[in-house]
Amino acid sequence: MALLETRELTRLFGGLAAVSRVDLTVDKGEIVGLIGPNGAGKTTCFNLLTGFLRPTRGSIVFDGEDITGLRPHQIAARGLVRTFQQTTLFQDLTALENVLLGLHLSSGKGPRQVLFSRRHFPADEIARGREVLDFTGLAAHADQLSRNLPHGHQRVLGIAMALAAQPRLLLLDEPVTGMNLDESGRVMDLVKTIRSRGTTILLVEHNMKAVMGTCERIVVLNFGQKLAEGTPSQVSTSPDVIQAYLGTGVADA
Amino acid sequence: MPRKLGVSIVLAVLVILALLVPELGGDYYVHVFALVFTNVILAASLRPSLTCGQLNIGHSAFMSIGAYTSALLAKNLAVPFEIALLCGALLAAAVGLAIGYPSLRLRGVYFAMVTVAFVEVIRLIAQLWVSLTRGMSGLSGIPKPSLLGMTLTTRASQYYLVVGLAVVILLVLWKLEHSRLGLIWKSIGMGDNLAQSLGVNIARHKLLAFMLGCFFAGTAGAFYAHFIRFLFPPEFGFLMATNILVYNYVGGRGHFVGPILGAIFLSLLSEPFRGSPYETIFFSIAMLLTILFLPGGLITLPGKLAELKRWRAAASPTPSPAA
Amino acid sequence: MTFALFVQSAIVGVSLGSIYILMALGLTLMFGMMHIINFAHGAVYMLGAFVIYYIFFQGGAPYFAAFVASMILLGVFGYLVERSIYRPIKGGIEPTLVALLALTTFLQAAGYPVFGQLDKHVPPVFPGTRNILGVGISVERLMIIPVAAALVIALYLFINKTRLGAAMRAIEQDKEAAALQGVNVHVVNGLAFAIGFALAAASGALMAPIFKLDPMMGEQPLLKAFIIIILGGLGSVPGAILGGLMLGLIDSIVATALGAEPAFLLSFVFIIMLLLFRPTGLFGYAS
Ligand SMILES: Nc1ncnc2c1ncn2[C@@H]1O[C@H](COP(=O)(O)OP(=O)(O)OP(=O)(O)O)[C@@H](O)[C@H]1O
Ligand SMILES: [Mg+2]
Repeated sequence: MALLETRELTRLFGGLAAVSRVDLTVDKGEIVGLIGPNGAGKTTCFNLLTGFLRPTRGSIVFDGEDITGLRPHQIAARGLVRTFQQTTLFQDLTALENVLLGLHLSSGKGPRQVLFSRRHFPADEIARGREVLDFTGLAAHADQLSRNLPHGHQRVLGIAMALAAQPRLLLLDEPVTGMNLDESGRVMDLVKTIRSRGTTILLVEHNMKAVMGTCERIVVLNFGQKLAEGTPSQVSTSPDVIQAYLGTGVADA
Repeated sequence: MPRKLGVSIVLAVLVILALLVPELGGDYYVHVFALVFTNVILAASLRPSLTCGQLNIGHSAFMSIGAYTSALLAKNLAVPFEIALLCGALLAAAVGLAIGYPSLRLRGVYFAMVTVAFVEVIRLIAQLWVSLTRGMSGLSGIPKPSLLGMTLTTRASQYYLVVGLAVVILLVLWKLEHSRLGLIWKSIGMGDNLAQSLGVNIARHKLLAFMLGCFFAGTAGAFYAHFIRFLFPPEFGFLMATNILVYNYVGGRGHFVGPILGAIFLSLLSEPFRGSPYETIFFSIAMLLTILFLPGGLITLPGKLAELKRWRAAASPTPSPAA
Repeated sequence: MTFALFVQSAIVGVSLGSIYILMALGLTLMFGMMHIINFAHGAVYMLGAFVIYYIFFQGGAPYFAAFVASMILLGVFGYLVERSIYRPIKGGIEPTLVALLALTTFLQAAGYPVFGQLDKHVPPVFPGTRNILGVGISVERLMIIPVAAALVIALYLFINKTRLGAAMRAIEQDKEAAALQGVNVHVVNGLAFAIGFALAAASGALMAPIFKLDPMMGEQPLLKAFIIIILGGLGSVPGAILGGLMLGLIDSIVATALGAEPAFLLSFVFIIMLLLFRPTGLFGYAS
């Protein structure tokens, strides 16, 4: 059953169609890859899906509900959570505090509780925060300021925060950029574990090896349009896709 | 908790000292300290929206709205002081809503520019609407504050009033900052996109923080109007707004007491030059020095000094041979 | 409003607009490169005018020499401000804005003890009036137009035809990429400060013989320049030129019809509307 379904999703910037009539479907429990050359419109797609940008045309249905035009927090509250291409963290807080904020901000406490509960995190929230760090392999860095973490850990922390917000569909924007082979392998394993725990995943990534090894289905964007769709082997042998990637140096993976 | 106890003791001593001002000093000191407390309210009320990352360079506009509303209601319609003050604060908050709501999507410089333009708009309205505000002749004959029908005629009683207002407002703001709400505000200030992506309704929270600040600035303005009993439009201009911002920066943005400390410190130290250009010179130098050499503000000074001392202590017994 | 009055206010408007353009160009240039609003711009305008007062009127130097001196002195001052304030703050936008605000209030307040409490006047440099379409216009005001135009053209040539200008454009496009290509970002930012300050000084120097001088004289032109760069879109040079001309004309004509302060109030209300509903300016693209 389709968890996410877009119809003719379109976004114009001035004259430029960054995303153009894209029909995208993600089924419950899938890991879907969204790939394409630089500037193909992948991040713009994410921004549209999560309400950071409004579509010029088209609709987005999440779990049977039309969420077109909702604002980011409303979409996050429905379980559609994204990470950012540019590493985005609460820089001055520790890793644990970052995750706690993820838990906390999404906990949807009523207004009364917002006003009158103490700032200190309750023990059960801290325990859950540590669990998330454990799960993502950051337990040893819980008390380090996130700005001081190495790049790879920062990227993973971004995923951990999104996880804390309890997504049903997790959108990951280039989670392994700037990582070495070893690190990116571990992150991809993490992604698979997240899926096996019941979270559906839509993954944007330039690292073809990571994408091909992880995703069951791949959608290729080029100049904002959907160019191809299929299994990794179908996509990687499609002449259109090879043509689009020619000269970008990414296709040879 | 010993630390908490320490803080409570310091606070208690401060409150007692504040209450003793009329006993220890004459009317001059009462006057000065009443204005110090007004400034404390103004500085602290700017903090919520600064925490949300909104650089408001026009806070004095809301003080002005509170001041004129309350003064005119009391003077022209004989509205009791408490109600006039409340109306002034509410109107300031309502105007805050009207200007805050459409500027929600503006960030950084753009938001700051709206507030700069807005403070000029309010000043010019006060200046030009002569039939209501008397414009540049200034509004005089404002009734003294009263409580439950009793006029507070002595300077000392008016002073106690502002101390009371300040204590209540600070308690409310402190409570809010240390609640989940305060945490959400802080997260918005640190990264509004990230907060949004994790489910925070940033528009609602920014607006709430902004309006709250306007409400309390309006309260401070209303007290000021009935205390000084003369209002002059340019007083609430850009310079006043900058001062409120300066209290926050010089005191320190990182902690609740920062703006309070900044307001007390700067208002007292600048008192000898009040009204002269030297007051502004003093403020701006304090500001520049803080930003360049103590970016965390005065509240980080003890920490920095302790660090320096430790560093000295570590360095002096064994003069290190190499760097 | 009679036709003669209209012609007169239109010409005065263009001349005012030229001053506004000079102010706005520096602001918009600095915003484009560093994403800061130079609140000190009005104070620099004021200093530019006082340099004329001391060097030309008191010192007896030729006006042209005093004009150049004013631009150079304040250009150097701009460079120093970059070194001692902007650079140490390391690009934090909020602290930079607040520091520039503090610098402004400092310069204005320090003006009173330094220059004295009384308003100063500079005698006319180009006395007399000239008849245009049957209306007498002061030559002083007319002269502003070609001088400002020359400065605008010089700036245009500098930005578009020199290597340093290319470096400025590169930073405006993408600071990191520019730094990678070997552009010394600090020096070029310093240059932008110097140019912005020199242009503000030039506006002050041009206005010195027309208006009275006092430490707060820069406030209004600064606010006008804010309005213009918002009108034209922050960071846009052509926008600043168009916006400046528009505002000069509106200002002069509306002010003649309604009075200066109501005109000012209207322009602020307008600018808040513009910021709220079209923050990229009248001529910019919505992004
Ligand atoms: N806010 C914006 N305003 C104008 N144009 C934009 C904006 N955001 C994106 N674009 C343009 O839309 C196109 C798609 O950009 P997008 O960031 O979605 O690409 P991408 O596929 O994520 O690329 P990359 O792999 O480099 O991250 C690009 O041409 C980009 O310049
Ligand atoms: Mg992208």
